[in-house]
Amino acid sequence: MPELYLALLDRILTPILLLLAVVFLLAGHNAPGGGFIAGLVVATAFLMQILARGDSFVRKLIGIYLQPAMGVGLLIALLSALTGIGNNGVFFQGVWWKLSLGSFELEFGSPTTFDIGVFLVVSAFVTSYLLELSRPAEGAAR
Amino acid sequence: MNINANWLAAPVIIPLLFAASSLLAATRVNLRQMRIQRNLALIASVLNLGVALLLLYTTVIQDQRMVLYAGLWQAPFGITLVADALSAIMLTLTAVLMVTIVLYAIGTLDQREGLNFHPLLLFLLMGVNGAFLAGDLFNLYVFFEVLLMASFVLLSLGGRPGQVNGGLRYVVLNLLASTVFLTTAGVVYGTLGTLNLAHLAVRMEAAPLTLRIIVAGMLLIAYGSKAGLFPLFFWLPASYHTPHPAVTAIFGGLLTKVGIYALFRVFTLLFPDLLQAWQPLLLGIAGLTMLAGVFGAMAVNTIRRVLSFHIISQVGYMVMGLGLASSGNQLAIGFGLAAGIFYIMHHMIVKTALLMAGGAAELTMGTGQLKEGYLGGLVKRFPLLAGVFFVAAFSLAGIPPSSGFVSKLGLLQAALDSQHWMIAGVSLLVSALTLMSMVRLWQKGFAGKQHEDVLPPPRRPIYGFTLAPIIILVVISLGMGIFSDTFIRWSQTAADQLIDRAGYIEAVAPTDIIAPVSMDH
Repeated sequence: MPELYLALLDRILTPILLLLAVVFLLAGHNAPGGGFIAGLVVATAFLMQILARGDSFVRKLIGIYLQPAMGVGLLIALLSALTGIGNNGVFFQGVWWKLSLGSFELEFGSPTTFDIGVFLVVSAFVTSYLLELSRPAEGAAR
Repeated sequence: MNINANWLAAPVIIPLLFAASSLLAATRVNLRQMRIQRNLALIASVLNLGVALLLLYTTVIQDQRMVLYAGLWQAPFGITLVADALSAIMLTLTAVLMVTIVLYAIGTLDQREGLNFHPLLLFLLMGVNGAFLAGDLFNLYVFFEVLLMASFVLLSLGGRPGQVNGGLRYVVLNLLASTVFLTTAGVVYGTLGTLNLAHLAVRMEAAPLTLRIIVAGMLLIAYGSKAGLFPLFFWLPASYHTPHPAVTAIFGGLLTKVGIYALFRVFTLLFPDLLQAWQPLLLGIAGLTMLAGVFGAMAVNTIRRVLSFHIISQVGYMVMGLGLASSGNQLAIGFGLAAGIFYIMHHMIVKTALLMAGGAAELTMGTGQLKEGYLGGLVKRFPLLAGVFFVAAFSLAGIPPSSGFVSKLGLLQAALDSQHWMIAGVSLLVSALTLMSMVRLWQKGFAGKQHEDVLPPPRRPIYGFTLAPIIILVVISLGMGIFSDTFIRWSQTAADQLIDRAGYIEAVAPTDIIAPVSMDH
């Protein structure tokens, strides 16, 4: 059941939530945040869409990608855990790449990609869960 | 030959990798997708078997322990994976069962039932493998949860009302057990300041007796209810007969044994003194479990229900092995434990074969009802199926030259040697009752005549893919009976490694930097 005020709010809140998710995702290794939390925030954004525009809209939009997204996320997480094995390392060992841009230094490592994998799994799983939950509720209202 | 420790992660990685890949193939529901998932599962289970055999060779034949510190975090801090002979034996048995169950599923699952069966099976495999490799209590808990979730979905796959009913009881009671487990882990961490098993083994010795008793008791309750021990077994017969036979077969072979494995691991490593002090308790539980299971089997009337109750009675024998772990007179200490491990090996193979054969009979006849005239005549109609069922049933009952005979003989020897007449008598009695129950299954289900008016003729044919895995398992069971000395030697190695606690602690080598929390409060 689409709601007018939610449809208005959603235009403001959804971009904020998505940006927040990116911040959480990238901040996660040494600061509060991480893939799990960012995934939950993205799922909240989709929940907003479900409430504002109805679950069938969201299902049409992303429904078929949810299960493959979980698969891709698991694969990304697994592969970044496996990169540790290279160079006589150990499973799950962190591998870091440094990128110097003048005075600005960017660090990017396998823990980050692992977090991205977790992020995909959590956001896809929680969204599909929310979609399933909203299905009977809508049927009952009719 | 020293193999890279990273191989220890493979039994967890392989199923996860292939399960994630099969999720990619799940966008549309059609026959092709299911075929892709099935092929991926087949490849994964064969690879997994290869890795398990490699680990078996290293740990059992070369008598080593393998340790992997994930991410190079030292022992009490990071995730530690440990494989010793017992882990490797369990991994190998699991891998064998997985290969056969994927074959069996080709023969028995139809398209609708088969949707997402294989990815879930792989997640289950990942949970079970992880539990066998976990080197600390918390990861053991996590992998228990992984396998519990996968098994719950597998149980309710198809969604018939009976399944949901059975699945709910299963998940509620198992979650309760998991809660007890998690609480125990909290108590352990709060008092001893560590969850790593090797580290705990060091600190548990200095811990006060009350703490040891509380922790051991709560773990016995948690693992005991997962293993289906008396009096916490009631979830098992309520749920195991409801799902598809392929699911029942793999559950019957695997799940309760994960609980048994955890009991073996924790009690030998952390509570060797309680193993002695609680011997009457453990043997009492073992005896009551055996009796409850076998009497339950007499009271129910479908093939798979009877076989599910027999799982319970068989689990009792394994606990009997654990109970006899620390006593020996003429025989070496640890012979009882070895006999228990051999019993696990025998049971996982034979029980899965029986559940597969019984399930195939139920599928093809459309019913598993054992009342007069419902089934019957299977000997004439499907002689090969009846044949393998016959051999498997008599292996379960313990008729030579099957593996069941050798394993029961081993336990009986251990009990008589340490003069536990009571449990020896109970095990003999239950053995006889099991034989009786198997004869009943044979008479009512396979021999005899089907009444023409009760049921229409068989619904579907039995394919070669249904029979092949059962034949493989039955041959393995006979092989374990005939070449029993090899398998007993392996179990003895596993038992010796379990008793050698110092070796385990030395292999994991936990650094003891953090002081335990003071135990004043």
